[in-house]
Amino acid sequence: MRNRLRELRDERGWSQGALAEHADVSRQTINAIETRKYDPSLPLAFRLARVFELRIEEIFHDA
Amino acid sequence: MTATPASERLATRRTLHLALATVGWVGTLALAQFGPELLWNRGVVFSWIALVLNLAVGAIWILVHVRYLRAAGELQRKVLLDATGLALGVGLVVGCALTAAHGAGLIGFQLDVALFIILIAVVYIVATAIGNLRYR
Repeated sequence: MRNRLRELRDERGWSQGALAEHADVSRQTINAIETRKYDPSLPLAFRLARVFELRIEEIFHDA
Repeated sequence: MTATPASERLATRRTLHLALATVGWVGTLALAQFGPELLWNRGVVFSWIALVLNLAVGAIWILVHVRYLRAAGELQRKVLLDATGLALGVGLVVGCALTAAHGAGLIGFQLDVALFIILIAVVYIVATAIGNLRYR
């Protein structure tokens, strides 16, 4: 699954650690999602969407 | 595993609880295994007490482990689940193959359950380390 996590994070000037703190996950989780090694669960996808104030489909989409 | 300091402190505490429960279980197992010979000259009452103590601490260890897994972050849970699946799979497949080989007279050495426990533990540790490196 493709995602715009890195792009959205860069727009806000956040590090992976900062985003991890906002989403209450580990920095490794953010890194794994950004590098497409790991697809987040639905609750985490909702949490990330809330952090960026976007809808899930504006962040994640099919490859 | 979470990133906030409060959550990190909680995760560290849970890991510590798991480590303590593991040490407790291994210790009481050693007591039940070697105590009869080395400590109380095969007294049945003490052997029963040691066995019941080992089972009780083992039950606590299981509960602490389940709580640890439930509290782990989803990526960490995936790493641990993959490692558990691999360790159990390798343990079962190799264990059954060695048992069959022993039954057929293909191997000379005596099979011991400790061998499988060590195999499962080593595979689990290696798989967890690889999983953590992969998502670093």
